[in-house]
Amino acid sequence: MTISSNDFIAQSVVALQEAERLRTRKELGKHMPALRTRAVEEFGDFEGLREHVANVRQHALDNLDYYLPQFEQQAIDNGNQVHYARTGAELNDLVLSICQRHNARKIAKGKSMVTEETELNHHLERAGLEVVETDLGEYIIQQAGETPSHIVGPALHKPEAEIRELFLDKHPLGPRELEDPPAMVEEARSVLREHFLSADVGIVGANALIAENGYSLLVTNEGNGDLCANLPNILIVCTTMERVLPRARDAAALVRLLTRSTTGQSISCYTSYYSGPRRQDDIDGPLETHYVLLDNKRSDILASDYKDMLQCMRCGACLNHCPVYIGAGGHAYGSVYQGPMGSVLTPLLSSLEESHTLPSACTTCGRCAEVCPANIPLPDLLRDLRHDESRSKLGSGRWRVSMKLHAWVSQHPRLYQLLTGLGVRTLHRMGRRRGGFSRLPFASGWTQERDFPAPQKDTFMHQYRKQAAQDE
Amino acid sequence: MSDARSDILARIRHASACLPEAEVKLALSRLGAGPSATLPHPDLAIAFLTNVLKNQGTVDIASSRSEAVVVIGKYLYEHHRSRKLVAGNDARLAALPWRDAGLLPRFGEAESGELAALSYAVAGIAETGSIVTCTGRNNPAANNLLPEDHIVIVALDDLVERYDEALDALQSQRPRGINVISGPSGTADIAMHMVHGAHGPRRWHVVLLGHVPADCVEHAQALAGLANERQAEPLPDA
Ligand code: SF4
Repeated sequence: MTISSNDFIAQSVVALQEAERLRTRKELGKHMPALRTRAVEEFGDFEGLREHVANVRQHALDNLDYYLPQFEQQAIDNGNQVHYARTGAELNDLVLSICQRHNARKIAKGKSMVTEETELNHHLERAGLEVVETDLGEYIIQQAGETPSHIVGPALHKPEAEIRELFLDKHPLGPRELEDPPAMVEEARSVLREHFLSADVGIVGANALIAENGYSLLVTNEGNGDLCANLPNILIVCTTMERVLPRARDAAALVRLLTRSTTGQSISCYTSYYSGPRRQDDIDGPLETHYVLLDNKRSDILASDYKDMLQCMRCGACLNHCPVYIGAGGHAYGSVYQGPMGSVLTPLLSSLEESHTLPSACTTCGRCAEVCPANIPLPDLLRDLRHDESRSKLGSGRWRVSMKLHAWVSQHPRLYQLLTGLGVRTLHRMGRRRGGFSRLPFASGWTQERDFPAPQKDTFMHQYRKQAAQDE
Repeated sequence: MSDARSDILARIRHASACLPEAEVKLALSRLGAGPSATLPHPDLAIAFLTNVLKNQGTVDIASSRSEAVVVIGKYLYEHHRSRKLVAGNDARLAALPWRDAGLLPRFGEAESGELAALSYAVAGIAETGSIVTCTGRNNPAANNLLPEDHIVIVALDDLVERYDEALDALQSQRPRGINVISGPSGTADIAMHMVHGAHGPRRWHVVLLGHVPADCVEHAQALAGLANERQAEPLPDA
């Protein structure tokens, strides 16, 4: 997993200056939450559902020692080959060796965050294979040579005009207009259709693995995952072990929760369950199917205080609701996982050294935890990571000294009140006439976007004391 | 060096409670199935049709098998000026009175570029407005995915209320693949514009077969917040 998370601040400064993309993100930050809210209201007992799924997943994680072998046995009985990978590199090697064994040349790939994490495409391409991403968003960023900016909508940062230019440039189809999104989708559809029909191997992810029957769940709106899972002769499902759920009905409950949180749909267009290779008298389906189950530090997380993070179902709601994500954009996080979930997961899957700025990319507003369908206490986990960060002395020297100073002052109430009183009165006097400041020393970044309101004459403590004295 | 499998399983055991099987099963049985979505109408057929419409599908009702082939013929003519249709080797599809509509489908697997495919769903789900098919001879997965239009017959008797009911009902059959379909293929990956026909069908048409009140479609349209499209069309005989 290559990351560049420690450049978060520099990268977000760049992102904030890209006016059109910022506008797109602000639109996303309004549109997606509105869709979710409506879906949640229509559902009925959404809180009950959330709690139910959280309990089921907690149970599954607590007893993964039981459910993972159960899934494995069922999957083998269904005719699959099950492989384990401790690291991303092991997963990549396993997948490559399966492809090479079949002399595969072309691979059609459905959307899979796990293979983004392991950078599978590079690995396969280096070995001379052609890898085609078939989810439209993934296809767009693959063509553009970019990384995903959103775990659900990887190309949502790209305005329509950029995608038009990209298609005109990459598809050798002669002069044409591509006037609107339907025309662009149409073009991608026909280009990708050829790839589906000629691919030797299909690679997909899984939204869940069902222990009781060895099936995997695949959720898409485009149907690309199903084409990958049914047309090529070889199917490889790349996923991680914490996706295991006990029963088929648990997968149904998960879908109820997931799609409402992701796109506000009551269900995605295609929710499919696949058991394994084609049967004796089947006329369709892959001849050979593999599961590759990745650990990549997840067993460490399972044993740690960050275990709750393994309940994440990659819905993207925390990104859509996060003011920092909307402002800074997905690429600032320097990771395939962005937003609040990315700020927790990236340090856990890589190291805090490489990503210690991420846990601070948070205003502690708490919206992510409010909407997270998995009930993950994201702000708490971020705070705990900041603790770890401070304990391992990873922040900048200036930052650490000011935090220490702040801590010391806050522990001395008299001094604290004296200093804050002084500050508030000074600001009050200076800003009295205009009612606010359009520029402040040390906070020019903040005042660039908005005015800082002039404070009232006194601090809260001062007014409180005055009031108490009057009441007596 | 130990292999990846035993390494990973050992690490998981280390992090797990390692309870005896009976205890795990008992804890699981206490978990139940969880709440499902509120139906838009207490009548299963109306609720189902409403949700199909909300999923951007179109609907027809047919009280008999002969009526079903007629509405399918009409749909094909309206959208493609064609009588071409591919259908899986499903005995229920083969047994339809095709001659009543002057249609004769090709039975087998759909190919790319096919105009329309017909499936006979193994279930319809009211909660989500979905239809369920199983892969295999009866309904190869390609039939759901490759054609421009996907037409699906659902028998009234095969409607279930909850999503998980439909899955539980298939547990004993264990088909290779279970496809739960809830709308035409869609994408919003280009600047959040919803476009149908991303990779799969551009249109999704559901024919509910059985004795349902004739006004149930109007009812569903109103509940789905759609204008009454049927009345907007000129009547064929007028
Ligand atoms: S952390 Fe929660 S809200 Fe964020 S992607 Fe994961 S499940 Fe969704």
